[in-house]
Amino acid sequence: MAGLIEQERYTCAIGALQTVVAIPRAVPILHSGPGCGVMIKGFFERSAGYAGGETAPCTNFSEREVVFGGTDRLRSIIKNTYKVLDTDLQVVVTGCTAGIVGDDVASVTDEFLYEEDRPIVHVETSGFKSSNYVSHSAVVNAIIDQYVSRFEEENPSRSEKNLVNVIASIPYQDQFWKGNLKEYKRLLEGLGLKVNILFGPHSGGVKEWQTIPKANFNVFVSPWYGEPIVKNLERRYGQPYYQFGYLPIGANETTKFLNGVVDFALEQGAEIDEKKARAFIAEEEKAYYEELDNLATFLLEFRYGLPSYAHILHDAGYVTGLTRFLLHETGLVPKEQFIVDNVPLKYQEKIAENIKSTSDKRDIPVYFDPDAGAMQDVIRGLSHKGKGIIIGSGWDKELAEEIDADFLSIACPTPYRIVLTTNYVGYTGGLRVIEDIYNTALVQYK
Amino acid sequence: MGKQLRQIAIYGKGGIGKSTTTQNLTAGLVERGNHVMVVGCDPKADSTRLLLGGLHQKTVLDTLRDQGDDIELESILKEGFMGTKCVESGGPEPGVGCAGRGIITSIGLLERLGAYTEDLDYVFYDVLGDVVCGGFAMPIREGKAKEIYIVASGEMMALYAANNISKGIARYARQGGVRLGGIICNSRNVDREAELVRAFAEELGTQMIHFVPRDNDVQRAEIRKKTVIQHFPDSKQADEYRELAKKIEENDKFVIPKPMTQERLEEILLEYGLMDDLKDDYRI
Repeated sequence: MAGLIEQERYTCAIGALQTVVAIPRAVPILHSGPGCGVMIKGFFERSAGYAGGETAPCTNFSEREVVFGGTDRLRSIIKNTYKVLDTDLQVVVTGCTAGIVGDDVASVTDEFLYEEDRPIVHVETSGFKSSNYVSHSAVVNAIIDQYVSRFEEENPSRSEKNLVNVIASIPYQDQFWKGNLKEYKRLLEGLGLKVNILFGPHSGGVKEWQTIPKANFNVFVSPWYGEPIVKNLERRYGQPYYQFGYLPIGANETTKFLNGVVDFALEQGAEIDEKKARAFIAEEEKAYYEELDNLATFLLEFRYGLPSYAHILHDAGYVTGLTRFLLHETGLVPKEQFIVDNVPLKYQEKIAENIKSTSDKRDIPVYFDPDAGAMQDVIRGLSHKGKGIIIGSGWDKELAEEIDADFLSIACPTPYRIVLTTNYVGYTGGLRVIEDIYNTALVQYK
Repeated sequence: MGKQLRQIAIYGKGGIGKSTTTQNLTAGLVERGNHVMVVGCDPKADSTRLLLGGLHQKTVLDTLRDQGDDIELESILKEGFMGTKCVESGGPEPGVGCAGRGIITSIGLLERLGAYTEDLDYVFYDVLGDVVCGGFAMPIREGKAKEIYIVASGEMMALYAANNISKGIARYARQGGVRLGGIICNSRNVDREAELVRAFAEELGTQMIHFVPRDNDVQRAEIRKKTVIQHFPDSKQADEYRELAKKIEENDKFVIPKPMTQERLEEILLEYGLMDDLKDDYRI
């Protein structure tokens, strides 16, 4: 049934312009109304990157472009972009109006491709088409299909046995994306693999993107979003993918994730030293548990002031990963969980199963609903013993105050927290989650 | 203020003769002493050619594109036959942009510029044949045309289009005051045309307000860029348009149409659209 929803915690399709912003020296060119870019910039704070935010060129699609078509205006904006911005990749993303009017954007980008050999790509991101969780894949696939494909001859399919592409965090929508991707890269390299991480300062920009076809296989960390990318790569380059259906946070899940990658890599004929790889995992684990040891005294001393249960409001990848982590590695009991990224129905069962399998002793109810406002109301109606913690977006801060729970901001929008390079995935990520949860408790300690 | 401005929208299948009929009807109305404005709502911008003696050079949207919002009414409103005011909305090149939005923009601009002056008795909106989106329904939205005439012939597709347009009218009529004033039959000389169109109109709950016979004088006058009334004032066809003007002026039968199903439309065609005694005369 159609109705209003409150507190959508993602954006419309054009939000995937941030996917472009996250590629070093790439620029999104907005063929949209002037408000679209401002909205996206506001939703994802500190989101300018190399040429995003106020820098991003925009056709400011208005009535004239609606009536007469906006392709002339787009052509001139692209021309002017070349005059003032030194970029390696230009991705034209379109807004609703251009989509409704039916502007032939491809014909304009083709002019720059065929006449000037420009690294330019176009993708339809009309807001009415989908959310940014979905259009992220459309943008990545557009770059693969229209740009990466131009370098296939120099980069034959699966020609580098130890190279993998990582398809994981959605830049900016995952506010820890920079740190998370860096950590995936570090861990996978620790196994002896070479990694195309594709986004952020630790990627090699478009040069790295050009080598995507060479990868032996893809590492896909996600319950659902990004699936069209690995499917596209499978079709185009015959690359199989290893899927881990949630964020590996803490020792249990990270070890499981990395051992899975090692097994898969060996199956695919990667030339890695298995012994060394497993030893790396063991070493990382050891460092992790040393910190848990250190924490024991604190936990004992403060046990009465610490939260005992948690509600998480986030996307499926975080909710599942954190639920497993909290129960098994912190002792915090995950109560009702709220998955608010509008997961398509066909993935929900598997995600629910993943969460259910977290414990055979405790039932962890899961809600799938993009209406985060309604989910807050559900929380208001619950009552559990002890102190709770709400782990969600900045919008949940007031709710936490209302029910006298601790509050940790880890999801968009996030006005109460600055995240630069922090990571939540991996061993170090798990420790960081612990730091954050207990720091919020300690703030109240007098 | 004795007189009431009548805003009239003319719809009908593409190529049925909406523009020709509207302009000849307009000529008939101005002859009767009325002040009339014709607003062409078609990107082709050929709705006022006969009244102006040539194509309108400056459409509203062209002017808007070239000069921006700061437009003088005089630059888009031209005077034609016997002081008729002529405006062409215009539109984008075929295949680009959104012509429907163009109509909305242009009618909005006409209102802002004060084109609807108090001396006017009639405003005609001559709308593109296929009402493909909301923009082309703009002339019949709230506060615009309250009267609609559909130009049709006895041809199957013309009646099909007329029935379809009636669906749109019925939708708008539920919310506002728009009403169907009748079907103008622009004859194509098909079998039992007047009977068929009359039956069709009655089924819709309206009337065939006039049967305009086919006459080559129309074509001759068109080539000369004139209405029949201007070019052949004494012809029989000129009198037909005068008669149509009189009937429209005196019309008081305005209804919410009752569109029919495709099956019913085809029944009417079978019932009235064939001439039994001529059935052996059909040739390929």
